[in-house]
Amino acid sequence: MTVETSIGDARKGYDRVEVPAPGGGTRSLTRKQFETLPLRERVGFLIEGTAQFFLEGRPILASDAMRV
Amino acid sequence: MSVARKALEMTRAATEAIVQRAETRYEAHRQEIFRSADRMFAGLMIGQWIFAIGIALVFSPYAWQGKVKTVHMHVWVALVLGAVITSLPVALAWLRPGEPLTRHSIAVGQMLWSALLIHLTGGRIETHFHVFGSLALLAFYRDWPVLVTGTVVVATEHLLRGILWPESVYGIPNPEWWRFLEHAFWVVFCISFLILSCRRSQTDMRVMAERGAELEALSENQWRNSSVVERAAADTRGDR
Repeated sequence: MTVETSIGDARKGYDRVEVPAPGGGTRSLTRKQFETLPLRERVGFLIEGTAQFFLEGRPILASDAMRV
Repeated sequence: MSVARKALEMTRAATEAIVQRAETRYEAHRQEIFRSADRMFAGLMIGQWIFAIGIALVFSPYAWQGKVKTVHMHVWVALVLGAVITSLPVALAWLRPGEPLTRHSIAVGQMLWSALLIHLTGGRIETHFHVFGSLALLAFYRDWPVLVTGTVVVATEHLLRGILWPESVYGIPNPEWWRFLEHAFWVVFCISFLILSCRRSQTDMRVMAERGAELEALSENQWRNSSVVERAAADTRGDR
């Protein structure tokens, strides 16, 4: 039996993330680009909950994105 | 103070605290590795000292001056020079573990141990393997400048001894002048990969510390978004 869930594929984590842009709006980053942001900036996005993570085009929860 | 401003300040404070904890975790991990390697080398140096004395006693215990039998110079060299080479690194590993001075002194001492063992075995090429083994052990620090220190010491020692006393390093009296460069080339070849490995290890340690920070940030976000009742329940359970 296959069970559909909304938590995404926890084995893959995320492949894209949208974060607030400095001048307003959002900017889209690849996983590698996000991981090379200064830690302070990444932590800020995660605390505020302003980072939206995606896997294969589908939005996923930050907690699922951070598993891998 | 407005609610928005207060929230912003809380976020800043939480961010700083989380980043600081990540840095502390990273530094603690590095210190643990440095101290562990310092202890390992302190034991190794003492072991090498005993081993060197053993080699001198087995292979050249006595010398003859006319009809007088004396203890061979190699025994004294192993005993005295071995003590000199061993004492500072072991003292620093004991008194100042984890400090840069300690691991660089250990790198110098370990390479001088290679030199002494090569001398005691009459420049046997097989004893030169000790150099490569030592470099691999120095990579346990995951701190690439230590490998550079070791390389400079071994290259300089080979150059000087090759000029002043070639038999003691190469086992022959007239090696080519560039022989030390050949040895140095293989050492550089070896450390090139060890340096890459050290740098990768450092990056992995940093990533581990940062992953911890990201998870902490997520937890902070979930706590902020939870209701008063949920927070009270979490406090009761001791989750925060």
